[in-house]
Amino acid sequence: MLRLWSFGTRPVFPRCRAFHSTVVSNATAEVESSSASTSTWTPTSVRTGLIARKRGMTVMWDNHGVRFPVTVLQLENCQVTANIKTVRDDQSEYHAVQVAASDRPLKNTTKQMLGHFSKAGVPPKRIVKEFPVTPDAHVPIGTTLSAVHFVPGQFVDVIAKSLGKGFQGTMKRWNFKGLRASHGVSVSHRAAGSIGAHQDPGRVWPGKKMAGRLGGERITTQNLTVVRVDSDLELIYVRGCVPGIDDAQVMIRDAKKKMTQLAHHNSAKGQFEKVLPKGLVKLPFPAGTKELAQALPPVIVAPSARVSDPFVPRE
Amino acid sequence: MFNSFRKCTQRLMSTATQPYPFSSVAMVSAPPPTPALEGLKAGKGLMPYLRQRLLSPEKLELLARFGRRHPERILPGSVLQVTSKHAPTAFTGVLLGIRRRGADTSVLLRNVINRTGVEVQFAVCSPNVKDVKVLMRAGGRGSEGRAGKRMRRAKLFYLRDSPDKMTAISAGMR
Repeated sequence: MLRLWSFGTRPVFPRCRAFHSTVVSNATAEVESSSASTSTWTPTSVRTGLIARKRGMTVMWDNHGVRFPVTVLQLENCQVTANIKTVRDDQSEYHAVQVAASDRPLKNTTKQMLGHFSKAGVPPKRIVKEFPVTPDAHVPIGTTLSAVHFVPGQFVDVIAKSLGKGFQGTMKRWNFKGLRASHGVSVSHRAAGSIGAHQDPGRVWPGKKMAGRLGGERITTQNLTVVRVDSDLELIYVRGCVPGIDDAQVMIRDAKKKMTQLAHHNSAKGQFEKVLPKGLVKLPFPAGTKELAQALPPVIVAPSARVSDPFVPRE
Repeated sequence: MFNSFRKCTQRLMSTATQPYPFSSVAMVSAPPPTPALEGLKAGKGLMPYLRQRLLSPEKLELLARFGRRHPERILPGSVLQVTSKHAPTAFTGVLLGIRRRGADTSVLLRNVINRTGVEVQFAVCSPNVKDVKVLMRAGGRGSEGRAGKRMRRAKLFYLRDSPDKMTAISAGMR
């Protein structure tokens, strides 16, 4: 029997498995229509992130007079070192932008990394990470990224290694309740208690929650608001806390839940006013660079997302 | 309809010449003209410098008076009157303690109003706090307010349990 479906060729468009096929087809259609240098942000594109240093926390008051804590993140010569495109066995594509930050002395950099950085034309760096993007969001290699990449009022995810807490017991590590403080409990007030059943299964299940090393692992804090951007010192002020110690390297990217996902879903539904958070017009695309920062004002602050004054009682 | 017109004018006034094209409600300003030191871009001394950048000179002066080394610093045990924008608009009380956290510095004032002890914690750098007046200073070198007794503690929480000491302080006021 002739298999008629095998004669025709399926439409081949690059498939990025991380994103739904419609996302990638829309994004590549944009690439083909517009030239690479003047690409604009679309609701289906995913742009690169940045690497910054967590400098500390302070406090700010918004235009209503409400106090909120902020974390100060500073970019330390964050540059693009590579644009990655990998075609998998099933012809789907993985696109990413590799970003490096924090200059490192030449004598402390290995020969292999020196070669990698000289190929990109950037000074040697301490940290190199990549951010998955859509094919239209590639950034020219060697571009210095700036704090103006993020727009005050938008949401970001911040990823960093959490504070190490050392070897910790089950109460701190797994929120176990421990045992009573009195009524005959002897010498085991913070112990884990029983760790299994009896003869059946006659062993301890693999993965049983027990005491061990806590902290020092990669943590993502989601949906933090960018409150202020200072481009002269490359500072991003983010509302809330961020994992890690002061001066730790953190990765910042557009929030997956409140930016990327919402933009895609709302544009698919046709609700174009809800694509970006209130007040935002568009995002720097493919990235906010040092050149763009010179054209923009040095300090940009987002007003409060609240509409009404919380200190004035409602009728 | 009138509300939308008001919101429209507010948005237009917030970015007068539209220098920032990525947001219609963001507020732009220039940083204060301080010499940008070399180490700041590497993060050296960044957080103390940011305190000067984020706070106005009046707030910095007020913060310094609650510091540890100002010649006319305000000591716990002083009686202060704080004027604020929202309620309570003018609150007078004994300074029980100063919580020093840089821009987040706050002071705790206690008063007995209608036989009820009332404590209010004011954030010194908040835009709500308009003015702090010293009515009685507890020791120290200052020109403002009457001279009062020097307290031998940094935090005077024991005053919560001794109403007679509170009345003694208020008697010293009158």
